[in-house]
Amino acid sequence: MNTENIDPKILALMEQNPHMTDKEIAMSLGLDESLISQRIAFLSDTREKILIVDEEIDASTALKLALETEGYNVIEALDGYEGLMKAKSENPDIILLDIMMPGMDGFEVCQLLKADPASRHIPIIMLTAKGEVDDKVEGLEMGADDYITKPFNLKELKARIRIVLRRGTV
Amino acid sequence: MLNKKNRWSLVVFAVIVLLLVGSIFFFWMRANDEVRSIVEEQYQTQQLILTQYVSYSIGELLNERVLLLEVVAQKQQGVPDDLFRSEFETVYEVADIYYVLEFIDANGTVVSGYPVENVPLGFNLYSNNMTWAFEHVRDTGEVYISEPVNTMEGIFGAYVWVPVFENRQFRGSILGIVSDENIITQFETTSDSSNYVYIVDDKGMILYDQSGTYEKGTNYLDHIDQNDTDRLHVLEAQMGGMMGNGKYWQETTDGSEYVLVSYSPINWYNQRWSVGLTSPGDAVDDIILSVYVKLFTVAAVSVLFILFVSSQVYIILLNWNKTLEREVEKKTSELQESNESLTAANIKLKELDGLKNEFLSMVSHELKTPLTAMKTSSEFLLEDRCEPAVRNQLLALIVRNVDRQARLVDDLLDISRIESNRIKFNMEPVSLPEALDHSIENIRRLSESKGVVLRVDMPQSLPAVIADRDKLIQVFVNLLNNAVKFTQRGGAVTVLAQDSGDNIEVVVSDTGIGIDPSHVGHIFDKFYQIDSTSTRTAGGCGLGLAITKGLVEGMGGSIRVESKPGVGSKFILTLKKAQS
Repeated sequence: MNTENIDPKILALMEQNPHMTDKEIAMSLGLDESLISQRIAFLSDTREKILIVDEEIDASTALKLALETEGYNVIEALDGYEGLMKAKSENPDIILLDIMMPGMDGFEVCQLLKADPASRHIPIIMLTAKGEVDDKVEGLEMGADDYITKPFNLKELKARIRIVLRRGTV
Repeated sequence: MLNKKNRWSLVVFAVIVLLLVGSIFFFWMRANDEVRSIVEEQYQTQQLILTQYVSYSIGELLNERVLLLEVVAQKQQGVPDDLFRSEFETVYEVADIYYVLEFIDANGTVVSGYPVENVPLGFNLYSNNMTWAFEHVRDTGEVYISEPVNTMEGIFGAYVWVPVFENRQFRGSILGIVSDENIITQFETTSDSSNYVYIVDDKGMILYDQSGTYEKGTNYLDHIDQNDTDRLHVLEAQMGGMMGNGKYWQETTDGSEYVLVSYSPINWYNQRWSVGLTSPGDAVDDIILSVYVKLFTVAAVSVLFILFVSSQVYIILLNWNKTLEREVEKKTSELQESNESLTAANIKLKELDGLKNEFLSMVSHELKTPLTAMKTSSEFLLEDRCEPAVRNQLLALIVRNVDRQARLVDDLLDISRIESNRIKFNMEPVSLPEALDHSIENIRRLSESKGVVLRVDMPQSLPAVIADRDKLIQVFVNLLNNAVKFTQRGGAVTVLAQDSGDNIEVVVSDTGIGIDPSHVGHIFDKFYQIDSTSTRTAGGCGLGLAITKGLVEGMGGSIRVESKPGVGSKFILTLKKAQS
């Protein structure tokens, strides 16, 4: 049973009895208590969620640490497929998407996300070493909300993330 | 074989030659006709002159002979005592055309004559009812010549009546019988075998025919077909006492024959005769035969000349054409070849350009990626908001990425040196086991962390190889590093070495993912990326094998690969053995 099906059930039980413990919920759903605790922690996390899709672990790790300090909930994906899956399961508030990736590149991922009604609303900032104007135009035409060239200024990136998120909430 | 175009040009050429030959023969025939008509005209003119001569001569002869009798008749002013016998004898001998000369008295009785044996003395015209001519001359006092007939003397001849008067008193008539035979003997020499003379009178009666075709005394008109207008026209002209030339076709036993005829009149007192001289048309042809032959020779030589020249011209044109065609073919194929080589070069250049762009893109990415990590980490550190544990993590990350950047720069420098032949090899005998041990030490940490077994299998007595020690170690490290990277946990990487003649062969094999056959030919190409996924997964930017190959070849060795996808890859190195 995947997490998407568990979450609504947990929420329904908690609505009936707000004082129900994790153990009681686990018993009534017939699931492991640790999983229920994890889902409840996840559901109770109110931070804005950022999905970083980048094959370079070091680059995304550094970014993750910096953004977590800013108070964001950061999750990572190492290639396009994983990025697509996490975009749907985690429902992030914003996606930082690298273009040059093995298998499915960033343009493709962006196109697929923007074509799917379930993920169309998620803003995307393209993040890449490619600095050509054509690449920027292509990314924006695919439906990306912003575009930033590597290596970027951390402050600038944070500002752009804030702007895009604010635009999304308006 | 001749192609269609050549066949057409041959046909056109043949038509032109035939037209030339045809026109030559046409002009030859025209020339023949013209020559023939000119020669024929000349020939007929000549024949006409001859005919005129003959007719004039006959006329003169006959008139002279009759004049002799007139002189005899008038000389005596009457009838002499001997009844003209002595004059007759003289005239007979001189004239030489008379069969007999007789004197008939006024009563119509033959009273004297010469030669005596031909004279019917006592023959009376009245009693024999033959008085018409006798009475005619008595009444008119003029000489009269009867039409030639077969006489009672048994000859074909004409009667010449000359009246004799004495004091205007009619005393009788001298009669001379002229035999045709006697006339003709005077002109025996005029004809040759092919020319014939004939004489007709003004009624068309044949008096003489040298050819013997027609009988004397018959009428020529009876022998001519009414449709034979040419011949009738000639006869009419002759009967009208005219002079001229004609020609007609005459049927013979061998077919038909072309006959030329010239005619001229003879006027003999009251008789109007005409001499005709016929000659066969062949006679003209005989004369101009040599001209024909010469003209034909000229025409034939011209034709042969034209045929020869035109065949030569045709052969020259054909060869020229063939040479041109060959030249065009040659040029076309040369153009095609150069076009192909240009196209190939263009494709190669495009490939190279593509590879270069890909490489630049890759290098840019590879350089920027560690920079990004370093920059982000550094900026975050500068913010001074992180925990000590996070700080250490970030510093380690920075150091790692600096190393990665340095490695990439080294690789780029290596490949640049190899390409421009600026790399220096310090060649010396190197112990292979020692170099391998060193290399394996370098790689052991990685293999252990990945759980890949490293095995070495080589004879201890293996001779040294000639190589640059450091670069040989770099080669082995590259190969082993690749092998370990592409082999999953639990797999094995094996190094084998063996003596093979002048060389030592080293095989680095793995039980990794292998290489697809479509890529095997390219894996040593610089910047060649089999698949960015695997490259990315394993790290690196596709320069390792190009550097390895460049180094091995720089040391005088060679490297090749054998691989099966899913089973593993084998890199086979040959290195030069050191002289013992």
